[in-house]
Amino acid sequence: MGDQSKPKGFEEIQKAWEEQCLGPALEARPERREKFLTDIGLKIERIYTPSDLERIDFNCREDLGFPGQYPFTRGIDPAMYRNNPWIIRAYSGFGEPKLCNERYKKLIAWGADEIVMAVDLPTQVGYDSDHLMAKGEVGKVGVAVDTLRDMEILFEDIPLNTLRRVSMLGNSFGPTALALFIALGEKQGLKPDDFVVDLQNDILKEYVARGTYIFPVRPSVRVTADVVGYCARQARHWYPSTLCANHINAAGAGSTKAAAFAMANGVCYIDRLLGSGYKIDEIAPLFSMFLDERADFFVAICHFRAARKVWARIMKDRFKAQDPRSMALKITAYSHGGETLLEPINNIARITLAALAYVLGGVQFLYNASYDEVLGTPTEEAAKIAVRIQQILAQELGIANTVDPLGGSYFIETLTSQIEKQILEEFEKVEAKGGAVSAIEQGYYLAAIMDGANARQRSFDRGERVSVGVNKWKTETKIPLGAFRIDPALEKMQVERLNKVKKERNGKRVQEALAYVRETAGGEGNLVPPTLEAVRAYATIGEICDVLRGVFGEYQAREYFGKGGR
Amino acid sequence: MNRKLRILIGKVGLDGHEVGARVVAKALADAGMEVIYAGLRQTPEMIVRTAIEEGVDLIGISILSGSHMTFFPEILRLLNRYDAGDIHFIAGGIIPAEDVQSLKAMGVKEIFPPETPTSVIVDFVKELLSVGK
Repeated sequence: MGDQSKPKGFEEIQKAWEEQCLGPALEARPERREKFLTDIGLKIERIYTPSDLERIDFNCREDLGFPGQYPFTRGIDPAMYRNNPWIIRAYSGFGEPKLCNERYKKLIAWGADEIVMAVDLPTQVGYDSDHLMAKGEVGKVGVAVDTLRDMEILFEDIPLNTLRRVSMLGNSFGPTALALFIALGEKQGLKPDDFVVDLQNDILKEYVARGTYIFPVRPSVRVTADVVGYCARQARHWYPSTLCANHINAAGAGSTKAAAFAMANGVCYIDRLLGSGYKIDEIAPLFSMFLDERADFFVAICHFRAARKVWARIMKDRFKAQDPRSMALKITAYSHGGETLLEPINNIARITLAALAYVLGGVQFLYNASYDEVLGTPTEEAAKIAVRIQQILAQELGIANTVDPLGGSYFIETLTSQIEKQILEEFEKVEAKGGAVSAIEQGYYLAAIMDGANARQRSFDRGERVSVGVNKWKTETKIPLGAFRIDPALEKMQVERLNKVKKERNGKRVQEALAYVRETAGGEGNLVPPTLEAVRAYATIGEICDVLRGVFGEYQAREYFGKGGR
Repeated sequence: MNRKLRILIGKVGLDGHEVGARVVAKALADAGMEVIYAGLRQTPEMIVRTAIEEGVDLIGISILSGSHMTFFPEILRLLNRYDAGDIHFIAGGIIPAEDVQSLKAMGVKEIFPPETPTSVIVDFVKELLSVGK
């Protein structure tokens, strides 16, 4: 170390402070807790000093460096938000496309840079709105999308090139999601070069958290990887896969393990692509990550800094990447987590602070929960506040005016180094298990998730984890009504639209395209081109997924807790 | 009544958020009950059939997707149809207050919102199942 110079005799000074100043203060008034433990198991100390930097062997050049350069601790852009403000995303979708289009236009008018389509559960698992399993779920947690026609309505009067990015999750059917945007662009007279598509398209985490899988694990890896492979050659400026730690953490794993698992999932896709003949620098820059830490403000900041270092190292050391863009980890985040059903207006404060942490950590793509999201589909007012909070953070208080404002803090650098070590260790554990797919099949991810979830519940039940207005200072008992409800008649309307599309389309063209999908799925070719043909012909998402179900089979998740539970 | 209480926990519909269901399953198991976890994407028919096959005393369903007004009345209807009205039905998840009222009127014994301590659920289940014996 050396550059963070410590005054001579510092230890003696600290010792004297502890004896003469701190000691009597604690005697008079003990600390509010015996230990200050974080969700990821790290202990937070009373104070951090130059001695801590010495202990972690902090090196200003190697550990911190400069923004835009390896190891990207301080950020992936040289000037960060001074010349490249983070993208304000709006995650929105409900009911049927026409209704939803109105909300999108409003979000854009308020200043959202990116629309992230929230689609309903039948769509997410590849069922059309008229499927038996779709009953009661159409338009509920997102907008119903069956065919390209729905996309046309959703983005009517919203040219895709007027947005900084456009997005949907598409975790289980990445090629179809990608094709829907390409084909929608064509309808609007745009080429892939003219706009930017962003997908989640990360299937592996669905088997352990979130649950919107369709096919068995191994063919699903191909489905995800094919999207990245296609974009590597056809649309290099798109974001075809966002490796998700968010849901793994939300489910219980804790942010460190979640990030490590998500990185291992990414490595699995990359390995597959390398095996298909792609070069690392051709594909690595197309991945980004969806990170998450919701239990501790400072851990969140340091988590982002640490994750960038770990990812950069994996790309450089393991994959021998040369291009800095392969090593620079682009980060998406979602400000949410601690929201409560009771006194939901308080959630505005929680969301704002989560967003602030992510900005201080150097996020690229940010979206905020609406304060009423815990109650149901966000109201218009709440959706607007979610955008406004970001604009306030971006422009009003000088928060985004310097790069990595907390860099060099004894606390921040110590915590960053500890988290970096944790992520790397967890990542190596997954590698030792044979990588992501083996770890999932052995139940390793799920065990980590359930341990964490049960520990969180215990700490909540014991009152150690404070939720204001819920387990502390509780004054209200009545959960407010969800103000916004989806009209059940929309399901019928959507099914009618689907039937109309089916009647009007060229049936022969659909059948030919679906046969092309089937043939490609049975071989080794990239799934995007045939899927694009099918989408252009107005084949439904359900029809395309059914063809793939026929080839790949379906994932069976049935499981017994058995006697006594686990 | 030395027989252990048997519980079926599951998720209906397509909603894949299962941590809450698993946490509750574990808490009930830790309290000495036998818990069968039916997993994701269950239909009301599947839930009721499993409940009858496994001879459970109580069904607990977790739902976050907002589709409870479709699925819960159906579960109650099927329980009655298969002459299994003695199997109790409780639920947890994001369910607006006005729906809680009508679902309880239909016969759902209790609905626990998020942020409920598991001890509250365990105590409720013990109380409910001891009364009927």
